[in-house]
Amino acid sequence: MDWLEDELKQALRRKEPSPDFEARVIAAAGRRRPVLSMPPWRAAAAAVLVITGAGAGYRHHQGQIAKEQVMQAMRLTGSKLNRIQMQMKAVRP
Amino acid sequence: MMPARTLALACALAAALCAQQLKLNLDHLSAKASGSFDISLNNSMLQFAGKFLDGKDPDEAAVKKLIGGIDGIYVRSFEFKQEGVWSPADLDQIRNQMKAPDWSRIVGVKSAEDGENIEVHVCNQSGKVAGVVILVTAPKEFTVANIVGNVSLDSLADLGGHFGVPSMERDKGKKK
Repeated sequence: MDWLEDELKQALRRKEPSPDFEARVIAAAGRRRPVLSMPPWRAAAAAVLVITGAGAGYRHHQGQIAKEQVMQAMRLTGSKLNRIQMQMKAVRP
Repeated sequence: MMPARTLALACALAAALCAQQLKLNLDHLSAKASGSFDISLNNSMLQFAGKFLDGKDPDEAAVKKLIGGIDGIYVRSFEFKQEGVWSPADLDQIRNQMKAPDWSRIVGVKSAEDGENIEVHVCNQSGKVAGVVILVTAPKEFTVANIVGNVSLDSLADLGGHFGVPSMERDKGKKK
């Protein structure tokens, strides 16, 4: 098992960073991130598109709810009409 | 003078519309109900919903055709676990709003066996159907459906064959 211990010790032994490591980290941190340059009109257009899209989505959602309510109301009314018909048939066969 | 006349006409129209739309003060029943169904759709909501109904689907096409001529649908339905929750006064407050000569009952079926009572009332104005009320009550059930607007009996019968409802036999009833 000595060879395994040796391998592990070698793999896990402390490695000192290169002398310029600190300088490289500081340089990287100081580097400015690239900023997306977008003209104001594009930002406004994007905002309008997002708002319009959200509005259309909300309207569609509301429409689906209204449609479902109408269908439910009609289903219920239809089932009551069915009952009326059955009762009438029972009274006047 | 003209605005006053217009206002008077608008008030008269509003009054006529109100006469077809019943006041369904049944909120006290919803708290006691084991199941309830409450839908109020005015004209604008119906027209809005109509835009989302698929004309190719037979059920939706039938409903789309039906809602084209109506101004509102108001449905309240309650189911109860025990009997005696709703009172005859609840039924009377609806019946009392449907007065002759505009309103007439075209169907009235009472079942002594299961205590079920079914009524269909129609509001006629200028020879046209301007509203329909379907009342279904049983010891553990209270349902009222109020359809406001130009609902022809044909349109109502068109519901037959859709939603699994067989075609309804039209029957001319007697005035109250």
